Amino acid sequence: MLEDRDLKKLLSFRKNFVLILIGVLCLVLIGNLYILQVRHAHKYRLMSDRNRIRVLPIVPKRGRIISSDGKVLAFCDYKHRIVMDRCPINVFKENIEILDKYLNFTKEEKGNLLNFRKRRQSSITIKDELTRDEFVKVSMNLFRLRGVHILNTFSRRYSKPFEFSHLLGYTAKNANEFQVLTGKTGLELFFDKKLGGNIGNIQKEVNAAGYNIRIIDQEDPVNGEDLKLTINSEIQEFVYNLLSKHKVGACCVLDMKGNIIALVSFPGYDINSMSLGISHAQWNELNSNQYKPLLNRFSSSVYPPGSVFKIVTAYAALCEGIVSPKDRILCLGGIKQDDRTFHCWYRAGHGRLNIYEALSYSCDCYFFQIAKKLGIQKLDKYARELGFGLKTGIELPNERSGLMPNKEWKLIHRNGYWKTYETIIAGIGQGYVLASLIQIASMMGKIYSNNLNYSPSLLPRDQAEPAIPLKKEASDVVKRALHMVCEMGTARGSCHTVYGIAGKTGSSQVRSIKEKEVGINQQLIEWKSRDHALFTGVAPVNSPKYIVAVIVEHGGGGSSVAAPIARKIFDKLLEKDAG
Amino acid sequence: MQGNKEIKIFLILLTAIILTSILGQVIAFGGFEVQVKKHIIKIIFGLMILFGISRVDIRFWKSFAYLIYALNLFCLLLVSLLGATKLGAQRWIDFYFFSFQPSEFMKLSLVFAIASYYSDLSEYELNQLKIHMFPFFLTIVPAFIILRQPDLGTAMLLSGVGIGMIFLAGFPTKAFIWSVVGFLGICPIGWHFLRDYQKNRILNFIDPGRDPLGTGYHILQSRIAIGSGHVFGKGLFQGTQSSLNFLPEKHTDFIFTTISEELGFVGSAFIIFLFAGLIYFFFYIRSGSKFSCHLCFGLGLMLFLHMFINIGMVLGILPVVGVPLPFLSYGGSSLITFMISCGLVMSILLKVRA
Repeated sequence: MLEDRDLKKLLSFRKNFVLILIGVLCLVLIGNLYILQVRHAHKYRLMSDRNRIRVLPIVPKRGRIISSDGKVLAFCDYKHRIVMDRCPINVFKENIEILDKYLNFTKEEKGNLLNFRKRRQSSITIKDELTRDEFVKVSMNLFRLRGVHILNTFSRRYSKPFEFSHLLGYTAKNANEFQVLTGKTGLELFFDKKLGGNIGNIQKEVNAAGYNIRIIDQEDPVNGEDLKLTINSEIQEFVYNLLSKHKVGACCVLDMKGNIIALVSFPGYDINSMSLGISHAQWNELNSNQYKPLLNRFSSSVYPPGSVFKIVTAYAALCEGIVSPKDRILCLGGIKQDDRTFHCWYRAGHGRLNIYEALSYSCDCYFFQIAKKLGIQKLDKYARELGFGLKTGIELPNERSGLMPNKEWKLIHRNGYWKTYETIIAGIGQGYVLASLIQIASMMGKIYSNNLNYSPSLLPRDQAEPAIPLKKEASDVVKRALHMVCEMGTARGSCHTVYGIAGKTGSSQVRSIKEKEVGINQQLIEWKSRDHALFTGVAPVNSPKYIVAVIVEHGGGGSSVAAPIARKIFDKLLEKDAG
Repeated sequence: MQGNKEIKIFLILLTAIILTSILGQVIAFGGFEVQVKKHIIKIIFGLMILFGISRVDIRFWKSFAYLIYALNLFCLLLVSLLGATKLGAQRWIDFYFFSFQPSEFMKLSLVFAIASYYSDLSEYELNQLKIHMFPFFLTIVPAFIILRQPDLGTAMLLSGVGIGMIFLAGFPTKAFIWSVVGFLGICPIGWHFLRDYQKNRILNFIDPGRDPLGTGYHILQSRIAIGSGHVFGKGLFQGTQSSLNFLPEKHTDFIFTTISEELGFVGSAFIIFLFAGLIYFFFYIRSGSKFSCHLCFGLGLMLFLHMFINIGMVLGILPVVGVPLPFLSYGGSSLITFMISCGLVMSILLKVRA
């Protein structure tokens, strides 16, 4: 039992205790205020600005791509898209309900939008590329929608989607909230920076509900630059149509300055629908198609050059003085080396041939023997001079350099010593040798422009690069021999013309021939196993203007399949020049 | 004279708070709008009640304390029962020109009843535990009814005031400590009785970033507004958070945030000091009777708890519960309650002087 005095003490203690507690709690409040308003004030000031200011992108217009004859190959359509800021789910649903009246979402689209919301991006695209009707309806009702903005956007269009598919490539909108068009392949990728421009922005003050209050600041975008090509759209189309008679092929047409006039890979694919975005099934179909339409066959795939490579072997042998034009070498239908027999394509043997005849008839035996005398190191040196094994520097992504083998390469990559028979087959462009079509065309360019610096280009050049001349005696012999190919040799059937073509056919094997298949008709064997048909040539022979290189994959013989295509292209080019 | 000086201080504090209140509403409405005029009319009405009550002898209230409590409890039950069947979540009874909110006045009735109960007890009785059971029930019954309304804020306040008064009246120390421990033990069970949105509020209070655009939005926006105010504030009518509607309830429950954004640390600390002064005053009145002493404790606790819960809520250190800031929040019921409390204090002061 407490005394009265003790109770008074207790009550007074309690009162003071409560008062001190109240004081301490008030200090807690003030302490918290101090932390918020003094210590972390900058952070919260920033957050409050971010709250009220919405920065929206203004997408730049991507530059056009124009052919040398003034045709617009790639351009942009001005479109609108609807975006919505991150907002609570009830506002989100309310907005979608209002928008549904004008845009008629399918059930799947609605589900997708709900899923997008979960990604926690600061804004999501409700609909890309509105039609005119939708744009008018939505913008009239924008005041009813919270945190919804209409932004500009562009859709990429191509006037000739199939003919230019590999050359131009395609674009896609990048996945972030800005949705800028970005190049994915081809020129669109290579010149992405130049074509793309710089993004601008607009700063809007918005209130908590997301309604726009006013525009604070605006920074205009820098539109992308136009790209003018050396390509002639008429020739490009013409070439594409020629190739479309075959299953798979590629062709490049160059002039003597290195300007690329046409660059075609067949089959093409629809870059318009690629830019819009294709479904998974369509993509899988393109990838699993046996003709591989997505593959760029002029610079990104390499082939054994076959007989076309004999030009290099001949030039090297002449330069090194291993043969003179007068020397005759015996072809008996094959030679033996390292316990193997290497057959000439003409089993009966060509007899005694000089270099003109050897190139004209594409005698393998002749080149086996001079390649053996040359040795791989010298062959490699001249081949590299003419551009084999090196990138041409064409303005396209993923160019492949092909392969020109030599002893060091074999030691490093194949872990073995070079064997003489490998030189022999390299001499006719088989074995390890691989080259892209643009390399083959560029090799012809180097010889006929008498300039080792010759290189193909898709953009018009301001000034010619300093010329490094070839060895005149050797190149003259090669040029004369190549003219003979078309006059009386393997290509005489299709390339015997008034203006004169100089060129070389090639039929490169894609696998080693078995004994029983020798001389068999190429049309009778399975498509995948047929030879690649190649032809490269220049015309007119007296004052060369154009270079054409054609490959028809698994086409059979170069003289019967590839040369006629080149002939038609030369006819068209010269006819066009004549007016 | 001692009494005169106290009255002077009290009136100065009251004037300062009323002026702050008007300023706060001007800030919240962005100018001298119609609503601000309405607020001023309510203040004038409140002041009339204040002076009216200060003329009534404090013993009058003692004799009617239980009756007031019983009537109020009846109204509370009525509203709850009707609310469950007809009126939705309504917490008030509508008269023609005036809506009566029983839960608001329950706080005052409770203070009356407990003060009256303890003033009749002799001092040695206070040491017995069972003596304190009655005021405990007086507290817990209306608190439970209000919790089911559901109004977590007012229920917490009511319990806080009641328990505080019992503690100040001399509840045995040992038993008090055990009760606190026991209460903490029961808390997890009490969790199950809360509604989903109440649970959400408590979870959001623990982690405001949990869902910044959902239920945690209010706390976060309030913290941003207060924090962005800096030491001296963004300046009068320059508050972007409130003018662009990022703040919810900017003129009622979040009035402190609104003022804080525009007047900064200096302004908000001033408001807290003003309240602290008033509360201190409530506790240190030299009053003649035990009844008026207990009454002042109860009113002081009520004022403090309102202020602490409201400011704690907008600062994000307490869960979001709908408790208005005394005098400053827009709205009649709360204003009149505190005007009545001040009137009672005034009446005690006048009596002391006489």
